[in-house]
Amino acid sequence: MSLTREEVASIAHLARIGLSDEELDRTGHELDSVLDYVNRLQRIDTDGVPEASALPVDAGAFRPDVVDACVESERALILQNFPASSGDLLKAPAVFVQPKS
Amino acid sequence: MSELHTYSITEARAKLDDGSISSRELTESCFEAIHDQDESVHAFLETWKDEALKEAEVADARRANGDRLGVLDGIPLGIKDNILIEGRRCTAGSKILENYVAVRDATVIKKLKAQGAVFVGRTNMDEFAMGSSTENSAYGVTRNPLDAGRVPGGSSGGSAAAVAADFCLAALGSDTGGSIRQPASFCGLVGLKPTYGRVSRSGLMAMASSFDQIGPLTKNVEDAAYVFQAIAGKDALDQTTADAPAFQPAWREDLTGLRIGLPKQAWGEGIDADVRESVLSVVERLRSLGAEIVDVDLPYSDEVLAVYYVVVPCEVSANLSRFDGMRYGVRLQGAGLLETYLRTRGELIGREPRRRMLLGAYALSAGYYDAYYKKAKKVQTLIRNAYQSALTNVDVLLTPTTPSVAYGLGEKVNDPLAMYLGDLFTVGANVTGLPALSFPSATKGSAGLPVGVHLTGRMFDEATLFAVARAYESSSNG
Repeated sequence: MSLTREEVASIAHLARIGLSDEELDRTGHELDSVLDYVNRLQRIDTDGVPEASALPVDAGAFRPDVVDACVESERALILQNFPASSGDLLKAPAVFVQPKS
Repeated sequence: MSELHTYSITEARAKLDDGSISSRELTESCFEAIHDQDESVHAFLETWKDEALKEAEVADARRANGDRLGVLDGIPLGIKDNILIEGRRCTAGSKILENYVAVRDATVIKKLKAQGAVFVGRTNMDEFAMGSSTENSAYGVTRNPLDAGRVPGGSSGGSAAAVAADFCLAALGSDTGGSIRQPASFCGLVGLKPTYGRVSRSGLMAMASSFDQIGPLTKNVEDAAYVFQAIAGKDALDQTTADAPAFQPAWREDLTGLRIGLPKQAWGEGIDADVRESVLSVVERLRSLGAEIVDVDLPYSDEVLAVYYVVVPCEVSANLSRFDGMRYGVRLQGAGLLETYLRTRGELIGREPRRRMLLGAYALSAGYYDAYYKKAKKVQTLIRNAYQSALTNVDVLLTPTTPSVAYGLGEKVNDPLAMYLGDLFTVGANVTGLPALSFPSATKGSAGLPVGVHLTGRMFDEATLFAVARAYESSSNG
């Protein structure tokens, strides 16, 4: 099977990854070679086989789900890492676009 | 120039303990080597000389008072650039995190600090740990210190190169499909991928959460056991850490009674002649030490890589969705929100991570989920069962770590599938969760390059892996 240019564009949109025209052309071929390889899994009989659990062993480290305060130095670093801010105000692009008038 | 930086942890510890060297001298010696050689090797993305010398002096002062925090007190270490150290930059080799400063310590870092370890710097890596050659870092290529025309392996290539070049005594790496063991093999080091759940992943930037583990790259087997012991343990910040008996080394010189399995399927075609010969010489040595060598059947070996290259991209596509330029990292502002996402993720995340995110998004999308992800998770069960069954008859499984010695820079960078196939022997341990160790054969491969021997053991039985590797190491040194 082969991924079309439109399929690649659609996946890239879902993943929120901007691709150039040249990349849109190339990516399909690159993914095809991997998909062709992994298609060997279809030959394996998995009737009645359960999906592997996320963990190979029982998880051991559960803790109460309580809020843990962060110290001031952590807070300062979190704010410092924000890409755009003005004092303690953090800037992000608007989620809603301006309605057409 | 001082030679202190060439010491192993074991050697340095003995000299620190008897007072013949100080941690400051040891650390200075590492920085001299970095100053002289890292411009060509490029193992480090950043070094922390002032801080490291201060940490070393504090360790010396402690020792002068008769206190020692742990076996790693005063020992200079390198840290892969995807493990957080509070207040220090951490980029995972990506432009999107160029300005990111870690907010808190990873659990492994807390543990190393509690031991008094000295942090030399953060080591180069394939971007977001995706790659097998450290050619996929946004900050340039790392070269193999044993041959500058070859790759050091990856993704923990900077950590491997730093230890092989004696820039630090040991380093931490992370391993999702072989990213500790393969560079250890290419650089002639010991590298451990612990049992899944042994070492906390809190503060490790996630690649594929169900496969990732942090582990050591060291100059010898005993050192690897020390570092592993220091970082292992249950952690409330990582619910996948397991309740398991604490690791204790169990060294042995005589391997009588130990059964080593050679998986038939792995020893077929595809292994270079020099690697095969070198690893078989190790098998013979282990036999002469008393181990019983048996051929074992390991079905589904051909499917391990396929499962890996479905499950990993799926987890990658979820884990890397957090890098969107909103809360941290670099943001490339576009006309609106969507445009900002597309620009930030399209322009600041490199080709290989984007390729895997796209693959994952595709495999998880409606209509394909059952055929790819669900199918792969079922085959993963069959693979786990096959390993479990093989390991009821033998104590460890032995293969080469890689099909070839370190290859040339640029040789595989444009052929993702060829690069992926190099992980054939290492991914099984991640798909099953089992512990695995790579150690160097005493017989070099072509061009005098190191060959790695790969051991896979039972869940939480790192001690047997260490014991076998150490028995070989001692016998070949003697």
